[in-house]
Amino acid sequence: MNRILVWDIPTRIFHWTLALSFSVAFLTAESERWRDIHVYGGYLALGMIGFRLLWGVIGSHHARFANFVRGPAAVIRYLRSLISDQPEHHVGHNPAGALAIVALLVLGLGTGISGWMILNEIGGDVFEELHEGLANTMLAVVIIHILGVIVSSRLHRENLVGAMITGYKNGHDDV
Amino acid sequence: MSIRILAALAIATAGAVVSSTAAAISPAELQTSLAAEARQADPAFREFSAQRGETFYRAKHGGDWSCSTCHTDNPAMPGNHAVTNKAVKPLAPAANPDRFTNPEKVAKWFKRNCNDVLKRACTAQEKGDLVAWLLTVKP
Repeated sequence: MNRILVWDIPTRIFHWTLALSFSVAFLTAESERWRDIHVYGGYLALGMIGFRLLWGVIGSHHARFANFVRGPAAVIRYLRSLISDQPEHHVGHNPAGALAIVALLVLGLGTGISGWMILNEIGGDVFEELHEGLANTMLAVVIIHILGVIVSSRLHRENLVGAMITGYKNGHDDV
Repeated sequence: MSIRILAALAIATAGAVVSSTAAAISPAELQTSLAAEARQADPAFREFSAQRGETFYRAKHGGDWSCSTCHTDNPAMPGNHAVTNKAVKPLAPAANPDRFTNPEKVAKWFKRNCNDVLKRACTAQEKGDLVAWLLTVKP
């Protein structure tokens, strides 16, 4: 076991900036008094997601989608292993975490684009409903993601939150 | 693939949106349901007052905003958002026939805007008085 750099700086900055911008946009959604801050939060989230989609292709090993996005069979196998004696361990994103990442990117993109359409009065009332529905679904996935981080950190005896701050994890670098 | 799961999620969201879109109503029908609500809250309720509605619209209710802050002194005219300065479509049905025809939209915007102006929910009496006055405003 070595201390190895798993998350590069752009991935970490992206993660926490997206978390912050989504929180700000969600918390300022219900009042016209915060409408400008809400919109800035949305633009920041959209910019971050745009960057992450690019970084998922050109970033360092563990940031690239090809190296962590897996099909449903891998997700089910991983989740099953969590209740067994030998939980599967992944140095990079685990398959369930990867699914949460893809869902959050797609939901964030949809929420941001529908919000921009409402702001510019393109497309009508149905986008207000869609914007709220997508944002609420995104919050649900965020909660599942956080619960997953807690469960995985305990089962694998590693600090995943710390790793997303420092970038380092303990593991065998199989890259 | 996870793409298929996301497609299912998108379809479910779209379905929820479509099923939640209620049939259009007239402002008169809205007033009928607000009157029933007002009567339930206060058995002494008689009718809505356009005059009380106008006073309510122009009052600041102890805060720094009134309805007219964004919707202007004449709700038949386009308004300006107090924070973003973006255009707000006229509020009076005579100038904008789409107003007060979608019960969900009415509920959503009364909830948001009453919190912004009064820092509480509006009563059915207040909503009905306001709509009664807005229906008398001509462009």
